[in-house]
Amino acid sequence: MATIVYGIWDGSVIDHRNGNGEASSLFPSLAGFGEFNPGNPIRAFFGDRGFLIFDRTVSLIDALRRQLAKAEEQSCGKCTPCRMGTALIGVSLTAMARGEAAPLDLDSIVMLGRQMAETSLCGLGRTTPIALLAALTHFRDEIEREIASGVPCPTQYGMDYMTAPCIEACPSKINVPRYIDYIRDGKPEHSLGVILQKYPMAATCGRVCVRFCEMACRRNLVDEAVGIKILKRYVADHQKGPNALRFSRDLIASFHPTEMRVAVVGGGPAGISCAYHLLLHGYHVDILEAMAEPGGMAAIGIPSYRLPKDVLRSETDIILALGGRFLFNQAMGRDFTIDSLFERGYCSVFLSLGCQQGTPMGVADEDSSALGYETGIGFLLKVHDHIAGTRLTRLCGDVVVVGGGNVAMDCVRSALRMGAERVHLLYRRTREDMPADHEEIEAAEAEGVIVHFLTNPARIIHENGRVVGLDVVSMRQTETDARGRRNVESVPGSERRMECSVLISAIGQQVRKGVLSPSDGIAMTPWGCIEAAPVDLATSRPGVFAGGDCVSGPSTLIHAMAAGLKAARSIDDYLQLGQTRFFPRSRMRQILNEHKLLAADCVELPVRLEYRVHHPELDPEVRRTMFEEVETTISDEDAYREAKRCMRCYRIYSVITEQPIPEGAA
Amino acid sequence: MTDQTVTATLDGRTVTAEAQETILACARRHGVPIPTLCELNDIDHAPATCRVCMVEIESPGRDSAQLVASCNTPVQEGMTIRTRTRRVREAQRLQVELLLADHNQDCATCVRHGNCELQDIAQYVGLHTNRFFDRTRTLGRGIDTSSPAMIRDMTKCIRCQRCVTICRNGQTVDALVVTGTGIDSAVGLHHGLSQKDSTCVTCGQCVMVCPTGALGERDETDTVLDFLFDSEIVTVFQFAPAVRVGFGEEFGLPPGTNVEGRIIGALRRLGADIVLDTNFAADVVVMEESAELLGRLAGKRRPTFTSCCPAWINFAERHYPDLLPMLSSTKSPQQCLGKIAKTYLPERMGIDPARIRVISIMPCTAKKDERVRPQLAENGVSEIDVVLTTREFARLLKRQGIDLRSQEPSVFDNPYMSAYSGAGAIFGTTGGVMEAAVRTMYQIANGRELPQIELSQLRGFDGARTATIEVGGTIGTVKVAMCHGLRPTRDLCEAVRAGTADFDFIEIMACPGGCVDGGGNLRSKKAYLPYALKRRESLFAIDRSTAVRQSHNNPQVQALYRDFLERPYSEKAHHLLHTYYTDRSVEMSLTVKQVWEDITMSTMVY
Repeated sequence: MATIVYGIWDGSVIDHRNGNGEASSLFPSLAGFGEFNPGNPIRAFFGDRGFLIFDRTVSLIDALRRQLAKAEEQSCGKCTPCRMGTALIGVSLTAMARGEAAPLDLDSIVMLGRQMAETSLCGLGRTTPIALLAALTHFRDEIEREIASGVPCPTQYGMDYMTAPCIEACPSKINVPRYIDYIRDGKPEHSLGVILQKYPMAATCGRVCVRFCEMACRRNLVDEAVGIKILKRYVADHQKGPNALRFSRDLIASFHPTEMRVAVVGGGPAGISCAYHLLLHGYHVDILEAMAEPGGMAAIGIPSYRLPKDVLRSETDIILALGGRFLFNQAMGRDFTIDSLFERGYCSVFLSLGCQQGTPMGVADEDSSALGYETGIGFLLKVHDHIAGTRLTRLCGDVVVVGGGNVAMDCVRSALRMGAERVHLLYRRTREDMPADHEEIEAAEAEGVIVHFLTNPARIIHENGRVVGLDVVSMRQTETDARGRRNVESVPGSERRMECSVLISAIGQQVRKGVLSPSDGIAMTPWGCIEAAPVDLATSRPGVFAGGDCVSGPSTLIHAMAAGLKAARSIDDYLQLGQTRFFPRSRMRQILNEHKLLAADCVELPVRLEYRVHHPELDPEVRRTMFEEVETTISDEDAYREAKRCMRCYRIYSVITEQPIPEGAA
Repeated sequence: MTDQTVTATLDGRTVTAEAQETILACARRHGVPIPTLCELNDIDHAPATCRVCMVEIESPGRDSAQLVASCNTPVQEGMTIRTRTRRVREAQRLQVELLLADHNQDCATCVRHGNCELQDIAQYVGLHTNRFFDRTRTLGRGIDTSSPAMIRDMTKCIRCQRCVTICRNGQTVDALVVTGTGIDSAVGLHHGLSQKDSTCVTCGQCVMVCPTGALGERDETDTVLDFLFDSEIVTVFQFAPAVRVGFGEEFGLPPGTNVEGRIIGALRRLGADIVLDTNFAADVVVMEESAELLGRLAGKRRPTFTSCCPAWINFAERHYPDLLPMLSSTKSPQQCLGKIAKTYLPERMGIDPARIRVISIMPCTAKKDERVRPQLAENGVSEIDVVLTTREFARLLKRQGIDLRSQEPSVFDNPYMSAYSGAGAIFGTTGGVMEAAVRTMYQIANGRELPQIELSQLRGFDGARTATIEVGGTIGTVKVAMCHGLRPTRDLCEAVRAGTADFDFIEIMACPGGCVDGGGNLRSKKAYLPYALKRRESLFAIDRSTAVRQSHNNPQVQALYRDFLERPYSEKAHHLLHTYYTDRSVEMSLTVKQVWEDITMSTMVY
């Protein structure tokens, strides 16, 4: 169990150098600080609000040098105090750490550190010197003792990690401020390059992402979050047109032998992302897809007015450009099994099957075979065929959709476009509780969808094997419970009847039954998902990894793509080393997360209000009739303006450890 | 007080600020000076990167005072602002010292010496030490000397990004990007191209906003001195319409003063053999362009764009090559003068043309670029031998100890190529080329002069203006447009491309205001083009004061056609005074591999 010898955090000094160690109220539990990786104790931790020393013998000078060196490497160089402060202080700390005379004395370092902290433009320059200044204010004797000794600091091991609230919030850990900065710098291709390091489907993500980053954006505390998704879409649209960024096989540094083949089962976002990274690692990858086209839920689950088919296709084509293969109409459980994949010579398998089967609502007289009854996913498949022209579907009369997520929103907006006279959305909770994007809800209402909040179906009415209506009941919110949640309950006597020609249950999806059988040797969770280890996505069967909706249950595109990247790393490790390696960066994130070290709850200085740009959108009356994309890309000018709103909330965290940190895939 | 305003205390005074007004703007309104460097209000530029304009604030509900950049921090209700405390002054002083730490400080060799915003700010903040400078920190940034027009010396860049803003937002050329990180950060061209090969059009507006010597013209004063002191060479000087009204300030004369006579006198004192006027060539251009335009109108080819402005030519060749067939083939006045000075003039004066060197003094950086266009040389002989910007001309005079203020005025004396009409004189400002051309087209169409010479409907100052002119006669109604600055120009080009622009004749000047504010003019510190209207008024005054107001009535132009060119757009004129344009659009496509090799970030996957 780690104990703090001395340090400072958020202005509170901890000093147990004279022995009387007691638990700090700042960090009641130091559980996460014991070891960084097994057998490798953490000797010190440095962050944006101070530092904690667990081992008296740590060289403060060297630890601070590391932090400044990281800041110097990452300084954008635009603002004066950060550009020069990191360079000048860095040179002196490096000299001191070597036991040499430094160009600056400690007072000058304090002067420059203070200038950085007080006058830098962004979070990087403002927060990096805080630990340094705290050390020189409260533990100067330690530093002076080190200098006086005149001997070089012994080598210290550790790692340095720069992040920001938006990065930590993103499942794929995209370096958001960096890609926004590249737009500001006039280099949208570089901006896209940052995104493409994590996944290939940038234009898709720029259209349909649920934006955890924007929820974490500190600009929310000033006016509105930076339009991170809008900017992503802006740069991603550079992926097409005459000046498109080009993918080619020369991106691949070295190719593995041809027998190093990996099978990816399911060509949705998780599978595409995994295949992309494996191809870049030099593997030979086949994607087995049950449908006749790539994209999975992105292809069939997201209507074309939000994600045009050609946009998605240009991104799945990246797999082909990198030498990957799609094998279409190949359904697991029907055309092949995991055993047969290994027999065919694949060395490893990634399962990204998705959740393709709708969940029933569980109300009285629900009959999924009745005419006019649809699941959300089943309906979106019909929408897909309708647009593709392979099978037209015309709606008439009233359509009722049940659910509150983005699939439900896609259903209501598509139903309008397919000729429904009136489209009703039933949701059992309130508007605030709806998991769907609020922009989506507003867009649907603007197009004429009638939303019934606090309303739940109670019974389905059939006539001659056809759905003709349903009984609904009003709900009301209960008192807040001990965990701060409000539940809902039905209001007695509020039953009423709604007529409809089509009823769509869009309340959830699950892994399709029968795709996996016990003989595949893949353990499932009690709720029907594939069991995969959170750290490396390994399933119960060696060499088989799984990720995306089939592991998590219905989730987001960005989660699926993050899982694809993680699986690719694991498969690479498995094939090269026989086991998956430690990920230092994940461990660092875990420490930050467990101790809530990344403070994002206040903005220290007054900031001018500048509201975000919005996508130019067509008139609701026009767009409710069409399946073409309703939002268009923002202009260069708007992109530059929006990019300037980013406050670059970078912070640097470092650990000093006993042993070198194993170099996992970073 | 309304909801729209807030009350604060500024250096002990109670002040009212607009909602969201910055501390800097509020302080300026109240006459409180705050030192600034990167900020340039005239182009709405406040990137808050230099961090010099720090002030101290106390906000309600906060214990301690904070330093903030005044240029982007809003005044808030109840805020106390102090601009001159010791803490503020020390922070400002240290900031400037840090700015110097990676700034190439060869001040004595710098074109901005004595006229530098960085030097000014160092004095303002009372800088008395320079502890941190290390030349090696400047070496990671390059010096781009590829362009014939401009030098980009990034060792002197202070990262204010004014150039990026004027190029991106002002001119919409968007040729510039931020390159590198940390002390290697600077400004470069898209895709790592050299300036010469980039989408830059060399308009030079970036030079007009650069606070230091990082951006400037290629200095060619030594070449001129070589010519002047070579007895074998006959030096022929010309200066542009706008130079005479934008040059006096350098020597302390009021902005807009017409120093034509003093320039002629100064050139004589320098040792110029022959002093000609670009205005004369402007009159020739009117003759050629009018004839060409009438021919194109007769052939139902519309619109026709003017071709006087070399930055516009670059813009069209780089960014709108599909519009090139619509450009007038008439060479610019500078090039026409050079060509005539190497053909007609030596013939008349009995000089060996091989001895002639033509030196232009231009308010323009793009003219240097134009000079070296391959299609403007014949048998290896250039029409123009060297172009000096107005700034270099000032430097040349100073190097030769000539003070324009005490210089006696002189007059043109060349009987062949120095007389000009009022029409040629107004070429230097937006709408001037159009007005000059209309005066002549009217005469061609009707056989008599336009009754009202000055066309007020063409004289506005909006970025894009349109007019419908009854020329009458065989021509009838002519629909015209005039753009100055490349932002309105781009909008118009897009409209022409889309087929929604209905014009016969379009005048384009790439610099806002036209040549009177071209990128070769004297620099203004902390201001963008402050003298545009004064210079323009002086040009109109010159027009009013000339005896001859129409190009076709310029007696020397009449003699040129009578004795040499036969008639406008004759075969000979076509050979000598017309040119062609080529598609020089830049391939702007990268591979992911190239981009990844260039990306600097901590989360590199591959």
